[in-house]
Amino acid sequence: MASIVKKTGLNRFVGRILPRRHWVQAGFLLVWLGPLGLRMHNVCGPVFHCYACPLASFACPIGVMAQFSALHVIPFLAIGTVLTVGALFGSLICGWVCPFGLLQDMGAKVPIKKLRIPAWAGYFRYVVLIGTVFAVPWFFGEGHPLFVCRICPAGALEKAMPDVISQAVTGKEIIWPNAVKITIVIVMVVAMFITIRPWCRILCPLGAIFGLLNRFSILSMRLEDHKCTACKRCRTLCVYGLTPDKKPNDDNCLRCLECTRCGPGALAVTTVFASPSEKQETTPQPVEP
Amino acid sequence: MAFKRRFLAVALVLLGLGLCAYGLAFHVITVHPEKDDAAAVATSEPATVKEVSIGGLKRDETGKIRQTYTGEAPQSCPT
Repeated sequence: MASIVKKTGLNRFVGRILPRRHWVQAGFLLVWLGPLGLRMHNVCGPVFHCYACPLASFACPIGVMAQFSALHVIPFLAIGTVLTVGALFGSLICGWVCPFGLLQDMGAKVPIKKLRIPAWAGYFRYVVLIGTVFAVPWFFGEGHPLFVCRICPAGALEKAMPDVISQAVTGKEIIWPNAVKITIVIVMVVAMFITIRPWCRILCPLGAIFGLLNRFSILSMRLEDHKCTACKRCRTLCVYGLTPDKKPNDDNCLRCLECTRCGPGALAVTTVFASPSEKQETTPQPVEP
Repeated sequence: MAFKRRFLAVALVLLGLGLCAYGLAFHVITVHPEKDDAAAVATSEPATVKEVSIGGLKRDETGKIRQTYTGEAPQSCPT
């Protein structure tokens, strides 16, 4: 049965674009995969995309942070880029923009029963961030096996594997990546099929920063208590097993915005500047039950 | 509460932009050549970002940041 909900302009836009999220992600590949052969590696992109990838347009901010940490230099550009983008959008970047997120989303399309990742596993991302991006490079240098780039699945999938395939296709001698990289690729590929966004939810250091900024970002999620009927449909809609009705700006939320499809329209995308009058702006709109 | 939230969000954005501006315009890193046969060069942060993206810089035992190659730059990061 159709119900009447109140929606702001921003939410109408979200409602229209939501069913096409994967197309938006795919569209952003035109930015990250440098179709014009632009390799602007002196600029950090705001997404998790290995700069060793032959098509990468920008430098990976996490790789740059780790390399700078190994040099004992503060990476102002990388931190500034991540902070600016994170403070504007939070983890909306993870849900809608990141190419490695899209890759995992495509893997999750394989119709296999998915394993549930507990929400607390998300805190492991901070361990990865502090450990492999800052502490290990700072104290042991970039040669340490726990240096983030050495264990990064993006590097393994976007550079090492394409290299092997290219060598095989062109008939050159195949230089196999080391056992660690091969293991990472296998584990990552399997994990992509059997669960949703395993890297983003358990290990991604960039996602950890964006997740932390969720509660402070200009773009934010709001639960309108007076509309919430406690039907818990938002929990069903959240494929990451979160509780948007309790914590709409959860650290572990990837802002796929699926929860905004809840029947009563209680969860809305808003900005910190939304005035009370804007919040009351109304447009009757039918919503699927 | 709403004012605090707005203030914090805007402050974070401005801080991020400030860090970017500082990194782009003022931050300079001294890079020594692979062998001590030439003078150290003051490199801008964007240029350093490009260098690290190909594994072109390393910190030596004395704490100096040293280029890992002489002449043609490597194609991509060795890690």
